[in-house]
Amino acid sequence: MLPDQQDILWTFITLMSSLFAVFAFINVIQHCLSKEGANIKMWGSIFAVFVVVNITLTVQMFGMNQQAQMGFFFGKQIPAVILLLLTWGIFFKSAGIQNQSPPIIRAAFFYTTISILLAGYTNWLPQQRSDPPPVGGAEISDDISMEDYVEMGRIIVFGAKQVAGQKAIGKGQCPLCHTFDPGDNIGRCPNLFGVEERSHARVKEDRYLNDPLKIGEADPATGIVKGMPMEIAEEYRREGSDELTGEDYLRESIMCPSCYVVEGYGPPGSGDKVSPMPVITKPPISLSPVEANAVLAWLQAKDTPGEFTKVTIALPSADDAAPEDSGDDEDRPVFVTGAESIEDMINTLGCSLCHTIPGIPGAVGELGPKLHEKTNAPMRIKDPNYKGKAKTGREYVQESILNPSAFVVFNEAAGEPFPDGLMPPDFASKLSVNALEKLVDFISNTEAE
Amino acid sequence: MFKAEARNYRVLPLALVLALSMIALPGIFAGDAQAKEAFAEQVFAQEAFAKEVLAEEEDEEDGGPKQEWSQDVFYKDWEGNPLKGPVSGYPAPDLGPEDYNNYDFAPSRIIVWVATQQHLYFGSFVLAIPIFCMLIEFVGIRTRESDPILGEKYDKLAHDLMKISLTAYSWTAILGGILLFTFITLFPGFFKYIAGIFRPVMHVYALMFLAESGILYVYYYGWDRMKDDPFLKWVHVSMSVLLNLVGTILMFLANSWATFMQAPGGIDEQGRFLGNIWHVIHSTLWNPVGVHRILGNIVFGGGIVGAYAAYHYLTAKTEEEKAHYDWVCYIAMFICIFGLIPLPFAGYWLMKEVYAFRQQMGITLMGGIMAWLFIIQAVMIGLLFFAANSYLHNSMARVQGSHRYMKYCKYMVLLLIVCFTMWMTPHTIVMTPAELKAMGGAQHPIIGHFGVMSAKNTAVNLMIVTTILCFLLFQKANKKITVGWKTIGNCWLSAIFIGAAANIIFLGIYGYFLPANQRVGLSVPQVTTTLTTLFAGTAINVSMFKDSESYGDIEWGTQSRVGTYAIFLLAISFTWLMGLMGYIRSAVRLFWHVTEVVRDNSVDAYTLTIGEAGKMLTFNALFVWVQFVVVFWVGSLTGKAKAPEAVVPQGVPVPAQQQQQQQ
Repeated sequence: MLPDQQDILWTFITLMSSLFAVFAFINVIQHCLSKEGANIKMWGSIFAVFVVVNITLTVQMFGMNQQAQMGFFFGKQIPAVILLLLTWGIFFKSAGIQNQSPPIIRAAFFYTTISILLAGYTNWLPQQRSDPPPVGGAEISDDISMEDYVEMGRIIVFGAKQVAGQKAIGKGQCPLCHTFDPGDNIGRCPNLFGVEERSHARVKEDRYLNDPLKIGEADPATGIVKGMPMEIAEEYRREGSDELTGEDYLRESIMCPSCYVVEGYGPPGSGDKVSPMPVITKPPISLSPVEANAVLAWLQAKDTPGEFTKVTIALPSADDAAPEDSGDDEDRPVFVTGAESIEDMINTLGCSLCHTIPGIPGAVGELGPKLHEKTNAPMRIKDPNYKGKAKTGREYVQESILNPSAFVVFNEAAGEPFPDGLMPPDFASKLSVNALEKLVDFISNTEAE
Repeated sequence: MFKAEARNYRVLPLALVLALSMIALPGIFAGDAQAKEAFAEQVFAQEAFAKEVLAEEEDEEDGGPKQEWSQDVFYKDWEGNPLKGPVSGYPAPDLGPEDYNNYDFAPSRIIVWVATQQHLYFGSFVLAIPIFCMLIEFVGIRTRESDPILGEKYDKLAHDLMKISLTAYSWTAILGGILLFTFITLFPGFFKYIAGIFRPVMHVYALMFLAESGILYVYYYGWDRMKDDPFLKWVHVSMSVLLNLVGTILMFLANSWATFMQAPGGIDEQGRFLGNIWHVIHSTLWNPVGVHRILGNIVFGGGIVGAYAAYHYLTAKTEEEKAHYDWVCYIAMFICIFGLIPLPFAGYWLMKEVYAFRQQMGITLMGGIMAWLFIIQAVMIGLLFFAANSYLHNSMARVQGSHRYMKYCKYMVLLLIVCFTMWMTPHTIVMTPAELKAMGGAQHPIIGHFGVMSAKNTAVNLMIVTTILCFLLFQKANKKITVGWKTIGNCWLSAIFIGAAANIIFLGIYGYFLPANQRVGLSVPQVTTTLTTLFAGTAINVSMFKDSESYGDIEWGTQSRVGTYAIFLLAISFTWLMGLMGYIRSAVRLFWHVTEVVRDNSVDAYTLTIGEAGKMLTFNALFVWVQFVVVFWVGSLTGKAKAPEAVVPQGVPVPAQQQQQQQ
């Protein structure tokens, strides 16, 4: 659900709370009517108040977004219901009613408690939202270096973000089955340590030349002709001679996994004639030619960090990576003029992804420090580790936006500083002078709610 | 009287086992069935090839436009090459913003999720009840000759269940309508494509729905009229078979839409229909999903009927009412647990087919972004076992003679707790670098060993074996064994259970010394060991009851509060679990409406966090139970309008001793 939308669960339970208050009211009135001497006016009034309170809370709940709803639910709705239950118990005691609350209510509370505990358990576990990959391929500039290109390949394999203790998986989804370090083996697909070296020898092996397809035979599933690098689709084809190289083997492995299956890695009973690996250039992974080549470049370079002499993949040009439809608004660079509302500016710049910003709905990011700068900024300037140039809180905020590495805030909860370099250093090119003024004004005055 | 009754208690389990065997038969004869299927595929492939040649010849003769042929995304010919078919439909659309509609209050995907899940919950219930009614009515007919009163009680129970189901049936249809409108209004582009492919199936579905309604109404409203004549009664029970048959076809037809979306077949890479509707229906997951859902329906239906009876047990005013609903709880729990035992095996089959379709999809489920959801599933299954064992312990406590076995309950609970803890230990968790350093790696040096599949398979198999042991003790709680081979029998039982536990633990430890791909294979002997305890243990146990003496029967109407709430726990846990597994199955498509063919280009194409999904699951579970309460209340209105004696349930199989005492 989007941050500004309501939470269906809390909305539903608050409605049920109101219904429960009405039920309790009717129940009390019925008991009073059937029992002589019961003070129907007093008890009726008390429980009518509970009905009004619960309905009021429910109405208020409808006007909130999901984050506010959660606080409201536990802070106000639950205490109201508990108070109602206690009062109901006092009524039963005072009226001498033995058979107390009806089983439907007990069962309802039991069900609700169990279900909410289960929802709580799921919220206690690590949270990871998975966004779909972009429809087009990756974008690159004309002056891309081989180091950048290899890094692009690494990100396609492992993803940009790495979570400690979890296997990071990028768009290529390779680590689901492959391992990359010496000695690792999860038994699904071959370990790719040393694959660059093996690739050159592989194309000369008898088994490669004849099994499961012979050189020159087409794979029925993909239509790719084995061992014929010049017959591959034009957008994937390399330039140069038609001699079969290690690069061709690697490319063939991702575009036609069943052209050659490493011994022991075919599905059981297949005799290693068919590969379980999906075609990486087709759905669901669908790497573009530039992305596929970036992965190949990384495979060739990964065992010799910092050295790219073994990479035979050619660097792409910006034209190679140009998306088919570049008229989409999403493809335009991010820029705010200052004419937008502060909320729109912050959302456009993506600040809320990492920071919790009071006053901005949905800005609950935790990767960076909470922006309570009215109190924090003056303290930061006085920090002995602060080496920046700001003299006032306002200057500190501006410096932090334009030069995030000037001072890296210490994360008290983790016992270590927030990661340096996580915040993009290019906000100067994304903000007009007006926009910067407006943003600094706003953030300098944020404080804990 | 007692003997007849005891026989009837055995008839019900026997009928259930037979029914489940019928479901399991395809699995038992899987090899044979696969061979037949392979042959059928070969015939299909040959036919397709012949058609292709004929079409080419025709085109050449006519000089008309050439028929285009394309390759199937899933089906293959006998040589393993993609099967070809004539292009008979339009390509899958590349959906844009104009193909999606939204409301402001919630994302469209969440709305369609709620609509689908609510329809499925009710659909599951209304498909399960006719199965129960068929079995109970059949047992009633068989019982009628020897014990007319008990036969009548069974008959009335089946009739009462059908009455509830009738209201739920209309409700299901309304929810189905809501679901349809949700698809048409919020996902028009996707629905246009799917309706284009499944056009004939949807019409057949509508006609089958009409047939189901007709049979259901005649079956229910003809109950009293066909009750007294023995021949007509057999006709009546035969109608319940027909009702289940049509219901099952309905479910399988609807399943084909979901299984096509997850693992399509019968179309080419562009999503164009290749002219064979059976290929589209019978995609790779169709069979396992169907069997899994039948079993799931039985468990879910048992859980709902159990909770319904448990609620009425708590509100019962008379001893007779209490005894009746206590008995219904027992029957419902019995059905529920017997459905629960084969359910994981159907799940294994489904996962096997998922891996066969795309290994990557299987790994996304078990080792990728969905892996945490399977940890939650493990916790839920643990919860179900706790609830089932708790019910059995509490039920056993009221059986005369059970004191001999009650002392073992605490050890069984202890074992369950240990196994449950092991079962829910995660492999790795998200940590800060400081925490990671403090622990010395992503896995804890000791507890980390319990996070792998070797430990988990061992734990869950031990939990199932413990439950089976508990069930056997429950069976023999009031029996004084008199057969000559009593000691040998008990030794065999002990040997089976101790041997099974030792074998399961040994295989679990052995798994640590094998690579992952070989380790997976150890689950087969572990499960076989567990099944051996179930079948061999039950067989020996029941054989020992021959000529046994009774310490006294179950005193119906004395079920403890804990036992009653254990039923509630089972019902709500299964409701939640059903939602969870449905979400996992559907969400594994990630950003595809139809895997690899129709991409979801809506703003909701992301995969939810576990927490967001958990809240939706809780909402769906609570919401459906609110509706069940309303439906049961509406169903009870007809009963209230009748004479007062009709209000008091008559379906109490009071044991002979209690009847004598009452007299």
